[in-house]
Amino acid sequence: MAVFLQSMISGILIGGVYALIGIGLTIIFGVMRVINFAHGDLLMIGMYMTYFLFSLLHIDPFVSIVVTIPMMFLFGAFLQKVFINRVLGALPQNQILLTIGMGLVMSNAVMLAFTSDYKILSTTYSSASFNILGISISSPLLISFAITIAITLALYWFLYRTDTGQAIRATAQDRDAAQLMGINVKRMSIIAFGLGASLAGTAGALISPTYYIFPQVGSVFTLKAFVITVLGGMGSIVGATLGGVIIGVAESVGGVYLGSGWKDVIVFILFLLVLLFKPSGLLGTSKD
Amino acid sequence: MQNMRGMSTLPVLLTAVAVVALFLFPNFVESTYALHIMILIFISVIMGLGWNILGGYTGQYSVGHAAYFGVGAYTTIVLMQYRHIAPWYGVWAGIVVAVAVALIIGSICFRLRGPYFVLASIAVAEIFRVTALNLKKLTNGAEGILITDIPPFKIGDIVITDFMSKVPFYYIGLVTLLIAIIVTWLLQNSKLGYYFQAIREDQDAAHSLGINLTVYKNVALAFSVVFTSLAGSIYGLYVGFIDPSTVLALDLSVQIVMICIIGGIGTIFGPVIGAVVLVPFSEALRSNMIAQALIDSGLVNESSGFGSFLKEQLSHAHVLIYGILLVVVILFMPDGILGFIRKKLLAKRQKEAI
Amino acid sequence: MKRAVALILAVMCFAPAVAMAETVKIGFINSITGPEAPIGENLSNGVTLALEDLKAMGIDVDMIKEDDTGKPEKSMAALEKLATRDKVVGIVGPYTSATSNADAKMAERYKVPLLVPVASKEEITRQNLKWTFRTSGTTGDYATVLLEMATKLGNPKTLAILNENTDFGVSAAASAKAIAEKKGIKVVFEEAYSKGSPDYRSTLAQAKAANPDLVFMVSYVADAILMMRQSREIGLSPMAFLGAGAGFSVSQFAGEKEISHGIFSSTQWTEDVPWGNSKAWYLRYEKKFGKSPTYHAACAYESMMIMGQAAAKVGGDREKLRQELLTGKWNGILGEVSFQDFDGYQNQRKAQMLVEQVQNGKHETVWPAELSAKKPIWPFPGWKK
Repeated sequence: MAVFLQSMISGILIGGVYALIGIGLTIIFGVMRVINFAHGDLLMIGMYMTYFLFSLLHIDPFVSIVVTIPMMFLFGAFLQKVFINRVLGALPQNQILLTIGMGLVMSNAVMLAFTSDYKILSTTYSSASFNILGISISSPLLISFAITIAITLALYWFLYRTDTGQAIRATAQDRDAAQLMGINVKRMSIIAFGLGASLAGTAGALISPTYYIFPQVGSVFTLKAFVITVLGGMGSIVGATLGGVIIGVAESVGGVYLGSGWKDVIVFILFLLVLLFKPSGLLGTSKD
Repeated sequence: MQNMRGMSTLPVLLTAVAVVALFLFPNFVESTYALHIMILIFISVIMGLGWNILGGYTGQYSVGHAAYFGVGAYTTIVLMQYRHIAPWYGVWAGIVVAVAVALIIGSICFRLRGPYFVLASIAVAEIFRVTALNLKKLTNGAEGILITDIPPFKIGDIVITDFMSKVPFYYIGLVTLLIAIIVTWLLQNSKLGYYFQAIREDQDAAHSLGINLTVYKNVALAFSVVFTSLAGSIYGLYVGFIDPSTVLALDLSVQIVMICIIGGIGTIFGPVIGAVVLVPFSEALRSNMIAQALIDSGLVNESSGFGSFLKEQLSHAHVLIYGILLVVVILFMPDGILGFIRKKLLAKRQKEAI
Repeated sequence: MKRAVALILAVMCFAPAVAMAETVKIGFINSITGPEAPIGENLSNGVTLALEDLKAMGIDVDMIKEDDTGKPEKSMAALEKLATRDKVVGIVGPYTSATSNADAKMAERYKVPLLVPVASKEEITRQNLKWTFRTSGTTGDYATVLLEMATKLGNPKTLAILNENTDFGVSAAASAKAIAEKKGIKVVFEEAYSKGSPDYRSTLAQAKAANPDLVFMVSYVADAILMMRQSREIGLSPMAFLGAGAGFSVSQFAGEKEISHGIFSSTQWTEDVPWGNSKAWYLRYEKKFGKSPTYHAACAYESMMIMGQAAAKVGGDREKLRQELLTGKWNGILGEVSFQDFDGYQNQRKAQMLVEQVQNGKHETVWPAELSAKKPIWPFPGWKK
């Protein structure tokens, strides 16, 4: 029983971070209908940014997100303006290939620049944990979970209480109608991608104290991000949050009962099932 | 350049000359390295042509074709290593297993469209990869399978080849390649081919005209998988070692798609061009030929910072360059190199007509 | 008579010097890039020192190095290139067990002597191969020395095995199981994990639930660090953590003071051994490369020294080189080295293993007592909060 509870709690904590990744992806898809295959690589860049801020300037990873968030936003906006904007009207397959290409460029450029050595970020609290009723809770994970909740709430506020936020939601709901209402949909796309990128980068920053950092770390997360967004419903932020936690728990508990080798399969089978039987996901707002 | 039945004689003649030259190649070229590059090109073209049938002609972009490549490779090699079944039977077993698997997957996944189909294909390939990692009794897991010896191929008592040199693999690759090209050509101009292209252009319209989408998509998939699995089997036998991270990886699926996209999808020679561009380029990068050439030609000073960076690093940059190529092609040449050339020729002809 | 003897002796002194002033072409395959690169670097550096020392002995090595990025198929292609295109007389390398096993088969096919410096998968020298020689000890050696030490220092009854699912990991796990059985220690938990996974918590939780006295771990660097971090988090605290070399023997691991203190690691060489001029060699390496060497560096150094000397002795003939490796004896920082057939192994060195333990951020040799500088800390002191 202790093992089960332990894996549940670990799963929920990691799920929080997964949720952040999923939310970023779902915003991008919701607004632009682009499936961003470079999402995991954006996370990877966030990780490296955090690593360098920590090792060169000694800024704590959790504190450095105040730098990471805006920088990743600008990076994302740049990518959208220069590359993705050009294919918004193209075949979805081409869009995917473009983002795959961008992902490859990002991960390999980082590999050339910083070698593929696994880097480990060691803070004083990296292996700290505290014990509640025999269950150990990782301190850094708990802090990331808390920050994730804070960011999610801030995001809600932005999307539901500000004009820009409303405009983004309108574009996501119906791009043409939004344009007819005078919303600059091109600008909304840029903001959406920037937002998605900064969320991914932040997720990277949040898990960097408990993970290792290497150029190819993105691909693992990209796939998970897709499972999460599809599970939750493409375009739904609540869905992505829920999806993230569900996947985190499924992985963790599955790992205990089926062996760590099989836990990835669980995630993918879940993915296929959702795609086949409820493609709009748990809380999907997707039109297709 | 239309590939209609009434083709002009020049391309046909050129193709015939090229084929003859390819057959005679090993007689004139001794370098095992050159043979190695040709074999890699052949395998890449076969993979590309295979994907092309489903992706290029039928419009179903699978980014999970490594699953079939890997199934072909594993079936053939497992049968050979553990059951001592000769590979010339093993490759057929590989094809059968791969097609069976593909039809199951197809019937599940083909109801998804566009990007969702892409995602599903990726998920399927990953399931295969992780399963191969875990079913250690069958596949030896992450350690992979190392081939000890391929049995010699005999007709009666005469040993045709003992597979010790690269030459038999060259011919196997070449012949398979030619078969793939012929099949693609036949498909393209057949009723089946027209159904495929109709599905690509507008699924719903095709459906309303009475084309059973699921059936024909699966037929396309079956053809596609035959060649992909063959490519996998040949690769495994040639390289002598397979493991899930080489033959079932997402990277491989992406590479297969790139061969077609860069060359030009939906055409017969698109994958050929794609492979001919990508394989030698990647090999030249990896073995530092390009860096060396830049230095030798005097464009870059060897002792300068840039020069030494190139020398040390360019060989590891080949995937980076793949990525850049992919981005450039999608943005500026979505019809691939072949499509780009065609457009230019068309534009030139139009200008001349004025 | 005395004059004749003196003359003969004088000629004999000069003759080797004359014979040795030639160039030998040796190949070197290593994981220069890729995930194994951090340890691979040790091999490259060790070989660099060897080339310097060989040159001082009058042996000029024309070394051709190839990067296999840790992948068996690339390693095989590299060996083929070295053997057929570059026509080297012998090859040192590669690094990992997976690549070494693949290369051993290729070396047999191309009939080129291959000296494996560091890979410990047992099977590599148990396949009746004629052309592969191994300097490294085997995973059997790793498991034996660790479990022998454990049973001498305490009275463990149960064992948990956590290994990565590579050739090295699987071989080490099998060895550990076999040796444990012989010593009457029960294996209560066993899991082969995919390397590079970030989350071992569920695995570790299960291991903890099985309450093992000993935990035997087989990982490369990044996993080693993460596993220990999460072990601390979960509160897994056995009598002892036994690391099978590799990731546990690297100074980066030791540097993570909070999680490395008290962890044992089997090794084939430390600077405290009385063989050759090990201490001086250790300081020389540190000075030149700015880091301390692991046993990988020492094994690679000695392997290249052996290969260089043997190749110089026989000229450019591979079969003669093979004979020389079969019969020769060398003495260096690994002590006396020769390659023999025993216990089902062929062309294998009988390695004297040691155990080091991380104490306060540094690796100290702690076993066997006669080769050690410090005493082992037993049992595991627990995790500092």
